[in-house]
Amino acid sequence: MGIVQRKDLSLAERLYLPEVVRGLSITFRKMFEKPMTRQYPEEPLPKTEVTRGQPRLVVKDDGNVACVSCGMCEAACPAYAITIDGGETERPIEREPVRFEIDMLRCILCGFCEEACPKDAIFMSDELELADSSRGALVYDLEMLKRPKAALQKRIDYVYRLNQRWRKSSSTS
Amino acid sequence: MTKITVNGREIEADPKQPLIRACHDAGIDVPMYCYHPGLTPVGSCRICQVEVSQQNQPPRVVAACKTSVAEGMTVQTDAPKAREVRRECLEFLLKNHPLDCPICDKAGECDLQDYSFNEGQGCGRSVEPRRKLHKRRSLGDVIVLDEERCILCSRCVRFCGEVTKKPQLTVSGLGAHSVISTFGDRPLTGNYQGNLADICPVGALTLKKFRFQARVWNLAKTRSTCAECSRGCAITVEVLRGRQVKRFRPRYDPQVNQWWMCDTGRFALGPVQQPLAAAGAVHGGRLAGACVRGPGGLARATVDAALGAAREILGNKPAPLVLGSPFLTVEEGRALQALAAALPVAAGFVAPPPSGLADDLLNTGDPCPNRRGLTELGLRPVEPAAARKALATARAALLVGERVTTLLGADELAGLPAAVRLVVFDTQAHALPGLDVCFGVPTHVEKSGHWVNVGGLRRPLEVALAAPRGVAPLETSLARLAQLLSTAGARS
Amino acid sequence: MEALLIAVAKVVVIFAGMVTIAGLMSLAERKVSAWMQYRHGPNRVGPFGILQPLADGLKFIFKEELVPEGANRLMFRLAPALAAMPAMLTMAVIPVGGTVVIAGREIPLSMTDIDIGVLFLLSMSGLSVYGVILGGWASNSKYSLLGGLRASAQMISYELTLILTILAVVLLSGSLDLRAIVAAQQHVGQWNIWYQPLAFVLFTITMFAETNRHPFDFAECEPELVGGFHTEYSSMRFALYFLGEYCAMTVLSCLAATLFLGGPSVPFWPAAPWYVGVLSLLAKAGFFLYLFLWVRWTLPRLRFDQLMRLGWKVFLPLALLNLLATGAVVAFTHGAQ
Repeated sequence: MGIVQRKDLSLAERLYLPEVVRGLSITFRKMFEKPMTRQYPEEPLPKTEVTRGQPRLVVKDDGNVACVSCGMCEAACPAYAITIDGGETERPIEREPVRFEIDMLRCILCGFCEEACPKDAIFMSDELELADSSRGALVYDLEMLKRPKAALQKRIDYVYRLNQRWRKSSSTS
Repeated sequence: MTKITVNGREIEADPKQPLIRACHDAGIDVPMYCYHPGLTPVGSCRICQVEVSQQNQPPRVVAACKTSVAEGMTVQTDAPKAREVRRECLEFLLKNHPLDCPICDKAGECDLQDYSFNEGQGCGRSVEPRRKLHKRRSLGDVIVLDEERCILCSRCVRFCGEVTKKPQLTVSGLGAHSVISTFGDRPLTGNYQGNLADICPVGALTLKKFRFQARVWNLAKTRSTCAECSRGCAITVEVLRGRQVKRFRPRYDPQVNQWWMCDTGRFALGPVQQPLAAAGAVHGGRLAGACVRGPGGLARATVDAALGAAREILGNKPAPLVLGSPFLTVEEGRALQALAAALPVAAGFVAPPPSGLADDLLNTGDPCPNRRGLTELGLRPVEPAAARKALATARAALLVGERVTTLLGADELAGLPAAVRLVVFDTQAHALPGLDVCFGVPTHVEKSGHWVNVGGLRRPLEVALAAPRGVAPLETSLARLAQLLSTAGARS
Repeated sequence: MEALLIAVAKVVVIFAGMVTIAGLMSLAERKVSAWMQYRHGPNRVGPFGILQPLADGLKFIFKEELVPEGANRLMFRLAPALAAMPAMLTMAVIPVGGTVVIAGREIPLSMTDIDIGVLFLLSMSGLSVYGVILGGWASNSKYSLLGGLRASAQMISYELTLILTILAVVLLSGSLDLRAIVAAQQHVGQWNIWYQPLAFVLFTITMFAETNRHPFDFAECEPELVGGFHTEYSSMRFALYFLGEYCAMTVLSCLAATLFLGGPSVPFWPAAPWYVGVLSLLAKAGFFLYLFLWVRWTLPRLRFDQLMRLGWKVFLPLALLNLLATGAVVAFTHGAQ
């Protein structure tokens, strides 16, 4: 923090005209610089592993959804966007979701569900676009939420790395 | 009474009770798995260990469930030594317990979860693989056993031996191969199997009918009373997302049912899970609103119109027959009597014969939960057969209350002559030739009031689930009808 | 009859040209501002957004027209026309080129050829303030009224400077006829800008104030007056104000080119064909039009008291001095002849 000294204006500055010319020259030069605007629909947003888009369910390599409908994400969701009903299966993991709905209009993309999930079944994908002509169509059901694991791999790796770092820092304390 | 000191607080304790009961009664939490207040303590889990010191002796760590209270005992539940022992104990219990919580139905009401959180350590140190056992061993029609989750507390074994007095379960195998099993792998029998799932401190014994139905923290719990017999067991009604009753569980009541309830009551979910009839339809589900017989048969009508039609039928002479359902609360019974007085006739209630389910534990075999309350009001119990006989010769009849049609026998009623005009208050409209007016009523989980059980105790009912839109409380509808009838009488 | 046809043809060509230029200016304004701010500007309607003015026009036509409660309906409806018309009428006297010979007829490339062109021009530009102040008054809104008042005060103040600078040019040329003024600047060396640099600078700055453009756009000063005199206007009447503003800019740019840069004369090519002359005028006017946009997206708005002080205490004395000096020089040189 320093004290700002207000200098007296020089004659050229007081005349204003030279300053006007200076300003004009600046704007003129800027005219030929490359625009920064992103032409959005044609030029999509860069999607990095940090991108926290809409939550999606992981489909394991054996074709089954990884979710066991434990309800952790439902409980963690601050916007009450998730509704899950479970059911029984014959597979070794006995439980699977029969109804898994995320109301995308309620979802605030906070990522709590991803954090809460004990089964690595829900991850924030890089999908961000959300538009439809009815509210009902934006309540995504199980089929609309399913994504193969490969599609979410980037984010999964990122979350694992993040947790690793968190574990290291907490073990030293 | 004996005086002991627990955590610096002096409490009075019954010397016949174990120390853990004394602590719990004083509101001091001591963890427990194998101990259950309704069963003999065996001290197999060792999680209830606390530090006890008596005069002139160094403090010792003992299991609170197997230690009796002695004069001048000083107990420290939070002593470092006791905590350490409990922590080690938990580590052993968790050694073979699978990390199944996301799948397990017990999660949320699991003692192992709660005490691991309070007493345990953050992570296990074992690198050995866990036991591989049966995850889905069916023990009869009601219970599934997950052997991996079992911590061998033997509560279930003792329940069968001590409460139902029919030993069916045992711990078989030795050491690490110990599992719970039935004798000769025969399926469990009896009307009290559901309690096994309740007393299991982990998710080893689960109900087939509730398995994976709902997460327990999503269930809104309301205290209520079981409707299936005149015992009036205290229960909790658990409702998922304010829409559907998911289960009935026993609620501790020392005067009536202790910690238990029978499977008949526990699984009597059908009548309260009935779906609504389609919009505009009369049959095929619960009636939300009212219906009146018109030229084209029964059709939906406003409650006001239906009350008017009911007055036309009931107000004429000779006076109609008035019969209530045994599910009426005392308050509703009173409203029915007031209505009958306006006609004026004497009201009765349908009292079906014993169900044959009676046993010497809880079930009385009498399917009328409020027989005593209604009788005390002055309503006379009528056997269904006698009631049908009276109906066949009556001009008109008013049948009031949940399940009144089914208790009278819907099939037999269908054989009544169409000249017998019926005004029915029931949860659904049955296809009866004489049914002219029908009103929807709330079920026993949708109303508040009370019943009087076989022992003369008031048993409360509370609103666990909002009645469907269009269904008014029965007292209100009956009072409105009574007023209409009395003004009609005054005019004529 | 033929003369009438020629006149009508001229009117149509000039009017269409003015409206086209005004439309293109509205696009240019947005494009130039975008480029200066690292943006793309409108680029969705047609290639490079070239059809944007057309789309805007269509949109304006389909907008609902609202007349505020308590407004003077007649004046409210008349005002936008009053704002747009003088600007277009002024164009009548500006020579856009020499003469063309079509089918053996010599046709001068200006709508009219009156010998008091400058006087006509000044009176017309004086009229244009009525559109603004009437619109402001008739709207029955405090913001509009304040905007209109400011506009009239500002235009009257700066009109003086404008007239005095033009007078200096007229003094040099010795004629009120714009064709004569152009004729006096056939070569680059004869351009008035070399003889009247101060007048040129003053005229250029005053131009901004006359057209209510940044940094002197007090009539519509958004932070203080919402939208100024046109707050209550919507639909095509709102568009008419804009048309008027862009036409006034075009006319004043042409005038500046005529008075100081030799009008349609082409530097170093005295025998240039007529269309090159027209292009030359357009290029010179284009520079001034660009200057309007350039300044708008560079300089912040002044304060109203600064504007008044600048007009009365700086520009007016300077313009008077300039006129005095020019008069003296002209008197001496003429006296010497």
